[in-house]
Parts: sequence; C-alpha cells; structure tokens
Amino acid sequence: MIYLDNAATTLMKPPQVAEAMLDALRSCANPGRSGHAAARKAGETVYRTREAAASFFGLEPEQVCFTSNATEGLNIALRSLVQRGDRVVISGLEHNAVTRTLAGLGAEPTVVTAPLFDREGWLSAFEKVLSSQTRAVVCLHVSNVFGCVLPIQEIGALCAEREIPFVVDASQSAGLLPVRPSLWNAAFVAMPGHKGLLGPQGTGLLLCRQTAQPLRFGGTGSHSADQAMPEELPERIEAGTLNVPGIAGLGAGIRFLAQQSQDALQKNESRLLQRAVQGLERLAFPVFTGPGQVGVLSFRVPGMDCEQGAEAFARRGIALRAGLHCAPLAHRTGGTLSEGTIRLSLSSLSRPADVEGFLRAALELRRRQS
Amino acid sequence: MYNVYLTLRSVTPGQKASVALRRVGLRHQLLRAPRAIAPGGCAYALALREGDLNRALRLLEQSNVTVQGIYLHLTDGSFERVEP
Repeated sequence: MIYLDNAATTLMKPPQVAEAMLDALRSCANPGRSGHAAARKAGETVYRTREAAASFFGLEPEQVCFTSNATEGLNIALRSLVQRGDRVVISGLEHNAVTRTLAGLGAEPTVVTAPLFDREGWLSAFEKVLSSQTRAVVCLHVSNVFGCVLPIQEIGALCAEREIPFVVDASQSAGLLPVRPSLWNAAFVAMPGHKGLLGPQGTGLLLCRQTAQPLRFGGTGSHSADQAMPEELPERIEAGTLNVPGIAGLGAGIRFLAQQSQDALQKNESRLLQRAVQGLERLAFPVFTGPGQVGVLSFRVPGMDCEQGAEAFARRGIALRAGLHCAPLAHRTGGTLSEGTIRLSLSSLSRPADVEGFLRAALELRRRQS
Repeated sequence: MYNVYLTLRSVTPGQKASVALRRVGLRHQLLRAPRAIAPGGCAYALALREGDLNRALRLLEQSNVTVQGIYLHLTDGSFERVEP
C-alpha cells in the first residue's frame, strides 16, 4: 500500500514510537498518583514528553496540556473563551471541530473568506471584521482540505492590537511547519499528536498561554481534599488517568522530529507535493493548488464521483481520502461543497516512490477511462 | 540524609523542579509529600539536605517553580514549617 492519507493520521511512524509505547505499557503505572517506582517512571515519562513538546514549541512544560486529539483541545479552548451569543470570527476553512463546537456553545460566528491561496486577501478579510464586539478569533494554520497556509502570525498581531484572544488549530501544520504560539500571540494552539508529530492515535496537545476551563472534572493526584479543580495548568484540564503509552509514543515522535532538519523535511514535502501537482495536471486531473501550499492536495478524477475516484485508487493500493473531510465550511469556501474532492496528503516521512506510485495509478486510471 | 522537604502542588512542578536540580547535580529525591505537610490532600515534595536549601530555592525560582512550603524533618519524625 502507498499511504497518502497523512492528514487523517500518519501511518508510518519512526520505530522508536512503538518502542516507547511498549516500554510504557510494560513498565509505567499511573503518573502523579503514587510514590512507587512504576508510578515515578510514569511521571517521568509524561514529563519528558511535556518537556520535549515545550522545547519544540518554545513554551514552558506546564503550558503543554495533553488531550486525546485536536478536537478535545479546541473544545477546551473555545469553552474557556466563548459563551452563548458571543461573536467569534473564524476563517472559512475551519473544521467541524471548530464549527460544531461553536454551534454547541450557541456562539455567533462571523466567517471570513478569501481566495484560497491569497495570504494578503485572508489578512485583509480578517482585519475588516474584527471589532470591539469580537470575543475570540479562531483560525487554522493549514487547511486540511486545500493545504493553503493562513497568515497566522499577522492575524495574531491584529488580535493582539485589539486584545482579542486568538485560537489556532495547528492540526495540519504541527510537525511540518514551525508552530510558535508566543510569536503568534495565541491564547491557545490545539493539535493532534497522531499526525505530523508522528505519535499514536488518541493523543493531542493543547498549548496554553492563558488559563483554561476544564472539560472533564475528577482526580488529578493533587489537592485531593479540595472539590474544585486545581487552578494551575496542566492539572486543571487533565483530570483522570492519562494515556501514558500514547504520551510516551508522542514524546518519541517529537524527539525524532527535533533531531531532524525542519528545513530539509519541509523541502522534501514541498518537492513531493509539487511533483504530485505536475503529474496530475499533465493527466488533466483538476487540482486545487497555489503558492505556499503545504502537505495537502485536493483534486478530482474527471467524470467520477470523488468517493468512487478514491475507491478506484484504493483498488490500486493507494490510500487517499475523499468527501468533505469533516470540513464542509472549507468546501463551501473553495466552491467544492456539492461534489467534494479527493485528498492526497503527505507526511515528513513520505518518499518520492510514494508519489511516483500514486501517479502511475493515476495514469492507469486515466487510460482506463479513455 | 535529606532533612528538608519542599512541597509542590502536583507532579508537574515536581518533575520540573527535579529536572532543574538534577541539571546542576544537586542531590534530592522527588516523592509524594507526607500527609502531615500536605493539608490539601495529595501533593509532591522534594527532599534535600538542609545545606542545599538556599541554592535549591534560587534554582527553583529561576525555573518559575512555586514552592508551597518548606519543612524541616525533625528527628522525632515530625515536621516543622520554616520560612525561607
């Protein structure tokens, strides 16, 4: 199988991820609960990952909170900032993790749109709608449908000038592009652990530059006599037993990335994406592409429903994802809501052979069609 | 013999403190705080030698670790709260 569905989850991980998980499964008890050796090892394992993530993202360890995925992180962030009736400005590329959460909170979102790959257009569109009534701004870094990169640092600066809390969804960028919460003036940055960070499923991070409200209530291994949740992060939002094997694997993924040249990883991913674009264009497949695109490429197979197109690739051993990608708002903005797209997505471990194999399958499909 | 206990609110600042002290080779032990010095319930403590107390406090301050209390472990097994 050629796996090109990395925006859903990365399947190929460095071997040390599984090794760390197995070691944790065999030797780690409950972190922060007991004083025996197995509990201490669990505490150290969790803290090593916290420390690795803090170093990778330029924060302090206590600003790194573990979640089960990016969705949980976004839920915590939005519930910490937004109440019913609040006006929240979001990009027109947001995932259901943002839009459904805001709907559930009864917020009133203002959706900002611009041409997909027009960074200046996005910035100017955000600037136009921000006002003293804006309770929060939520924006993804990289679109999970089109791979366009939004000008996060500049949007963050607009928010800072107006003292508006800024929430970033870094689900598709963490591990592929630099993520710098402090530079972005972000209150919260949410991300999964199982995509670009190369950790296992069931892990995620919420990077917090302000306090957060808990989504879960319960034991934290601290201040047990007090019935209120602790005030301090990370314990405030980490009630219950942590996913220690998952966190151990995530730590291994982050440490692996930290040892690589981020510039080399980005260049490799960018070369592969451009090769996929050129190959598909040569075969006259409609592609959604533009300047600065990262990791994700939406396209269509002429004359085929997107799900049937992805199925045709799957029969040829190519793993892609079709449909709306849990982001109907992004498809509306991109003009692809009625038909959806097929999405090819890369990781830092993708190889040229993966893209060449995909293009051979595309050529075969095209020949069969004609 | 460790005879000073610094209490910390949870395992995260405990680990952070332990890393800061380990980095400069300051001997200590991170452990669950004895019940007598954790009135709010569960907490963590760094046990260290009294002679290392001031150096440890400086290092923890530099690392932004909040120490909740400082206790001398007396020979009769009891604890006495002290001011830094």
